[in-house]
Amino acid sequence: MLLYKSLHMKNKIFKLVFTVWVIIWIFLLIREMFAKGNIREYNALLHRSLDGKRAYVTGDRLYEFLSFCNAELPEGAKYMFFGLEEDSHDKRRATYYLYPHLEAEEADFLLMFNEPILSRTGYEIISKLDDTRYILKDLKRRGR
Amino acid sequence: MELFRLALSIFAAVFIGWNILYLISFRKIKLSFLERLFISYGSGFGFISLEMFLFHFFSIKFSLIRIIAPWTLLFITNLIIYLKREGPYGRDPYDMKDRGNILLNSFLAAGIIFEILYAFFRALIKPIEAYDAIATYAIRSKIFYMENSIPHDFFYNLSLLFPHPDYPLNIPLSETFVYLFLGNLNDQIAKVIFPLYFLATLGILYFGVRRFSGRTGALLFTFILASVPQFNHFATNAYHDIPLSYYCFAGALFLLYWFKETESLGCLYISAVMTAMAGWTKNEGFVYCAANILLLLIFLFINRRGIKKKDILNGLLYICVILLILTPWLWVKFTANLVNSDVGSTTLSELNIIKQSYKAWPILYEFQRQIFGPKKWNIIWIAAFIAMAVYRKKIFADGQKYITISLILTVSGYIFAYLIGQDEIRHMVGTTWSRMMMHFLPLTVYWLAYLIKDEFAERKG
Repeated sequence: MLLYKSLHMKNKIFKLVFTVWVIIWIFLLIREMFAKGNIREYNALLHRSLDGKRAYVTGDRLYEFLSFCNAELPEGAKYMFFGLEEDSHDKRRATYYLYPHLEAEEADFLLMFNEPILSRTGYEIISKLDDTRYILKDLKRRGR
Repeated sequence: MELFRLALSIFAAVFIGWNILYLISFRKIKLSFLERLFISYGSGFGFISLEMFLFHFFSIKFSLIRIIAPWTLLFITNLIIYLKREGPYGRDPYDMKDRGNILLNSFLAAGIIFEILYAFFRALIKPIEAYDAIATYAIRSKIFYMENSIPHDFFYNLSLLFPHPDYPLNIPLSETFVYLFLGNLNDQIAKVIFPLYFLATLGILYFGVRRFSGRTGALLFTFILASVPQFNHFATNAYHDIPLSYYCFAGALFLLYWFKETESLGCLYISAVMTAMAGWTKNEGFVYCAANILLLLIFLFINRRGIKKKDILNGLLYICVILLILTPWLWVKFTANLVNSDVGSTTLSELNIIKQSYKAWPILYEFQRQIFGPKKWNIIWIAAFIAMAVYRKKIFADGQKYITISLILTVSGYIFAYLIGQDEIRHMVGTTWSRMMMHFLPLTVYWLAYLIKDEFAERKG
């Protein structure tokens, strides 16, 4: 009898724990999909091409500039990037998308993102996407 | 066409993994077909990436033929063994007729399938973009793919331009392998390897619990693991924590299988391979290498009266296999002086734990915050603590004690790493501990299932 009662009690506890678990699971799923706005993101991503998806996660403006740089920079070019915070997520993305171009202290090119055009001695604009996104080239290294 | 190439790359990895494990163990141990597939998946990618890494020493360029061709020799050897075998090899160590509660089973299976499909969907809806995934790993796989090799000065120059040059290369090279099959750098569909690790972990857990429980119990605990939001999320963002969880779990589980049946050498070899692969996946994997070796020594010591000489030799072989797999990477790591940015070049004074003991309080504070704080909502830890209190007499009982010791060794290993770390302790624990806990989450779920297995037997009775 005692064993039966103890089993009955354990059954009840297991059912209770399992029910609570399932309720929390459903709550977390709904929160993850709707409250965190993931459904909206999935919807936006679903019909985009791979490039479109890259632009979406990187930010259209930045991705457009990175694609522009990749098209304009000569093979093996070294660059310095201005306009993104060091070690920021965007900076890491820029490094990833710009490879095989590498960032270096002694760079031939300065990639200016969200930077107003100001005259810099020793540099000239070689390519411009718009007034705040452009590429400067070091004149001293012109021949290289 | 691209999806076909992707499927082919996964098939190639599983096939190679299958052949390696067939040679070292499959013929001799009882495993179901699906369990074999789940183990082959991780070992396949592990050995392919290791092979690609070895190419670096001989300046060999990557090509699919160069990578796959050496394995055909293994395939032919296995074919000969298969044709000459005497009797069928072991299968299914579980009672497959046990159907349990059909309604509950259907619900649990539906929940698991939903979580798996959702993980695949979330992984494949966008390209690699999470911080570490892109800054540390994807950049390396891109370099390897574009250079068609690991450049000869990679570890001395190029790698230092990106964060964490000391991180092992299992997954970046696996990604490169997939890119080689795809013929392009599609970092969206290459992400499929991560939910596949998630699926394989769930599969190994299911069959692990199935060894001592009915279908309902196995589905229940698989569902519990699959439904942890953080665990599912990390199967989709191209971080290496789920692959590491997979290797750590498989490494520990097959060692425990060997403890139960020391004649079953195949389990010991699988454990050695998976444990070494943990070290080849993330630096944290070395904690598991040390924990499993210590656990093995503890097992041999506790059972010293019944232990045979060959068991000790097998134990030594276990250590040798782990070292053998990890030696090429450790060689490069030390010769190129690749230092971890968090732990740094540890000096003898930093190894003085008493000197570092002031960090104990912040560590404990962060631990409880990660466990009880609502942010992560991982209630397995709370459930584990309650179970520990309720079943306190059982946690060091036969069979259970090795799983408990394994978990204790792992947590101690992490605490040790935190103590000797050079980064600000609160920041380091706060930003990493919840991820570290995921590495031993599958083993904790297995521990929980094992702890209350008698309840299922009683209920069944």
